[in-house]
Amino acid sequence: MSTAVQSQDPHPAVEPSYLVSKRGLMSWLVTVDHKRLGLMYLASVMFFFLIAGILAIVLRTELFTPDQDFMSAQTYNQVFTLHGAIMVFLFIIPSVPAALGNFLLPLMLGAKDVAFPRLNLLSFYVYSVAAVFLIVAILTSGLDTGWTFYTPYSTSTGTAVITATAGVFIAGFSSILTGLNFVVTVHKMRAPGMNWNRMPLFVWAIYSTAVIQVLATPVLAITLLLLIVERSLGIGIFDPAMGGDPVLFQHFFWFYSHPAVYIMILPGFGIISEIITVHSRKHIFGYKAIALSSVAIAVISFVVWGHHLFVSGQSELAGVLFSFLTFAVGVPTAIKVFSWVATLYGGSIQYNTACWYGMAFLWTFTVGGLTGLPLSTLAIDVHLHDTYFVVAHFHYVMVGGTVVAFIGGLHHWWPKMTGRMFNETAGKWGCLLVFVGFNVTFMTQFFLGHQGMPRRYYAYLPEYQVMHQVSTIGSYILALGLLWTLIYLLHSLWKGDKAPSNPWGAVTLEWQTQSPPIEHNFHETPHIHGSPYDFPEIDKSAGALHH
Amino acid sequence: MSNDHAHAPAHVDDDEHNPHLAHHFDTMGQQTASAKLGMWLFLATEILMFSGLFLAYFILRMFYPEMVLEAHEHLSKWAGGINTVVLLSSSYTMALGVRSIQLGDAKKLRLMLVLTMLCGCIFMVVKYFEYSAKFEHGMLPGKFYSAHLHGYEIEGLPHIFFGVYFLMTGLHGVHVVIGLAIMLWMFIRAGRGEFSAKNYVAIENTGLYWHLVDLVWIFLFPLLYLVK
Amino acid sequence: MAKVFLNGQPVEHPHEVHEHISPMSTYNGVIGALFVLTGLTFAVSFADLGPASLTVAMVVAFVKATLVVAYFMHLKYDDKFHLFVFLGTIIFVGIFFGFTMFDLKSRDALNDEQETFVRWKEQTNEGKGLPVGVDNVPERRAKILAEIEAHGGGHGGGEHSAGHGGGEHKAEAKAEHKAAAH
Repeated sequence: MSTAVQSQDPHPAVEPSYLVSKRGLMSWLVTVDHKRLGLMYLASVMFFFLIAGILAIVLRTELFTPDQDFMSAQTYNQVFTLHGAIMVFLFIIPSVPAALGNFLLPLMLGAKDVAFPRLNLLSFYVYSVAAVFLIVAILTSGLDTGWTFYTPYSTSTGTAVITATAGVFIAGFSSILTGLNFVVTVHKMRAPGMNWNRMPLFVWAIYSTAVIQVLATPVLAITLLLLIVERSLGIGIFDPAMGGDPVLFQHFFWFYSHPAVYIMILPGFGIISEIITVHSRKHIFGYKAIALSSVAIAVISFVVWGHHLFVSGQSELAGVLFSFLTFAVGVPTAIKVFSWVATLYGGSIQYNTACWYGMAFLWTFTVGGLTGLPLSTLAIDVHLHDTYFVVAHFHYVMVGGTVVAFIGGLHHWWPKMTGRMFNETAGKWGCLLVFVGFNVTFMTQFFLGHQGMPRRYYAYLPEYQVMHQVSTIGSYILALGLLWTLIYLLHSLWKGDKAPSNPWGAVTLEWQTQSPPIEHNFHETPHIHGSPYDFPEIDKSAGALHH
Repeated sequence: MSNDHAHAPAHVDDDEHNPHLAHHFDTMGQQTASAKLGMWLFLATEILMFSGLFLAYFILRMFYPEMVLEAHEHLSKWAGGINTVVLLSSSYTMALGVRSIQLGDAKKLRLMLVLTMLCGCIFMVVKYFEYSAKFEHGMLPGKFYSAHLHGYEIEGLPHIFFGVYFLMTGLHGVHVVIGLAIMLWMFIRAGRGEFSAKNYVAIENTGLYWHLVDLVWIFLFPLLYLVK
Repeated sequence: MAKVFLNGQPVEHPHEVHEHISPMSTYNGVIGALFVLTGLTFAVSFADLGPASLTVAMVVAFVKATLVVAYFMHLKYDDKFHLFVFLGTIIFVGIFFGFTMFDLKSRDALNDEQETFVRWKEQTNEGKGLPVGVDNVPERRAKILAEIEAHGGGHGGGEHSAGHGGGEHKAEAKAEHKAAAH
């Protein structure tokens, strides 16, 4: 038996956990503990997930019939813009890195904290300020540009573009600071013996994400600054009526926002790598391939942004180049999917909730990834661009990919974060509802889009009605599943069983300390001597290391 | 592994008693290396942020070459040149400041910080006169551009050029002001005796930031003021 | 006992900070070179080099930047990973510039060929230039004209010397403006 980690917890629960080591509201508001900050981020992103989710349900309800029901075109524009902007900037981008990443990164590396704990606290407050700006924008005159703020419309509309872009600008700084902190943490805070080949794959994914955050987000900042200046001073660089070039804005914007798509999905890959290997109790297949494909995706993500501009007036030559490069993303992504499937093969799979989400991810993400190929094909994209096909594609990647992985990760690490076990049966019902609801909602939209239903319309031709209704009903099922998940997770906080320190029999470091961890994570700095996925001999009859 | 603790030197206790060592780091070396890597990553974000404006400039040049050349004749080469010399000098004094504290001379560090701040202030004063002249002549960004009413005819669409000019120099100026504030803070901390030959990474990072401000200007100056 | 490791590896003498300290002569030499190069690029700007002037200016700027980065920022002696971060950043800036310029350049050529256009061009808008700056905002234009009128016509009148004594001039103009208002 080649135990990877020596440092077991020798004196359990002699020290209070991080949740109770200090008391009072102030101890939370000024905490520099990465675990507490992770929980604070978790609560915040969940709040915005709820808000933006409600907006989504409102949109789907409006689309139940072809005609206008209860929203005007203008209101509809504002609601889908807010749904997109809040989901992207306040939920998905910070969701996995800032919430789970903050909590897990130092634990997985065997460190006491991230490299810059005070910077970590600062970036939480910067994020909060950004949220306030966006809320103010909603409460004043709203925003109707779409989350992409395309010029020249965004420089001429009467809505609160400056307030909203200022909010996104500030959120960008939070993202940069978090990314910078994580890169330094991974480089400088690893425990003795933790070399690059012994880092958990979640760490590799968060590391690649952090690199993108550091490299791409500054360009978003300058783009939004240019937009704000364009709107307030009219310098004309993006405005064709003043001698500028509107497509230039799209170049600037997508240089950030395409890599940002991978800021959203890469951490999800990391979660799935952990879930699949732990719950199939088998060493990950192709450790190096998965680790390096994360880095490869991070790099390639910077050279494909032009596929958002295929029909925006970009030159055909650039279109062909970007189309070709876009296909290249498929290679590292496929490497990951094949490695996960190969890991499952012959594993001793424990079908619990987290594993169910992992399986759900494999389906939804594969659909999302494969439908990206027709979209990156230049000629086909001309037909599919700005239709529901695109909407379905990116929801399959972002919701089916990131959100499903995020919820799966939440279940996987819930015992560690809260010290409580949730009800597995309830969890599986929740997963089933989410999976069915999601596929009903968005699979339909592929067909809608293929038949020509354009995105961002509040009314549509009657022949699309049946599919729109199916999609709307699917969205209700999805919402029900998420609500159900929220209820039983919250319930577990009060009524759940106490979690053992390692309920799933995992080998990574965060499971080697008590649940929930003590304030400084480990009683003694752990020393690492092997791979994070060297599972002890599997005792198939006894369900492994459960007790 | 049995030798994990074997090579801990006897006087490692120095670190444990070092009041500047944060709780989550194990050694000063680790803390210093983290701070410096963090700073370099921050500089990377700064470079990428400024790169957007440089790209805007190059595109403007590509779109309207004659207009850019004609408009840039209205910028004062001399003001730009003086500012270049001033900023390079400040970089020099900053580098000497870091060197002083590397040698443990906190007094000389404070002197160098004062000299650097002085250069930064001169830079801002020159900038103020430059900007005043531009305001006076109506050479302003976008819809505030009114130079042609003041009798300065520039062919084409100079309002975009001055938009880019004010954005680039303005963002750079903001960085200079932030740099001055940081140096003032470092000056106060140096006065409290916080820095020594063993603990000066904050000074070093301040220096790195200030050199970056200088680097941006090294490119801004020829592009905006000199190039034909 | 203190744990002595960095980058996951044990460190031999963690309590000693090994920083390269450059001699004064290095700093003096670098600042001298920077001043000379500044003078050079300044002097060259008066010569009419045509399109080559951009290349010359950029080469000089790159040399100056390299000096600052290598010696003032100690990158020559620093952790090689910092050099990697710095050069990596430059590469990503290159990607950003390269692809964007590539599209804009090739698009311009195609647009010219097909006689379509996205942005305003002098050639295609013979005789009807775009309104510039305040011309788009009639009220502000009128206000500025009135102000100019108030203190005796425009100054300069095609005079192409820039940046002359801004401060005093402005104060003077303000005083005049006040006087006119009373």
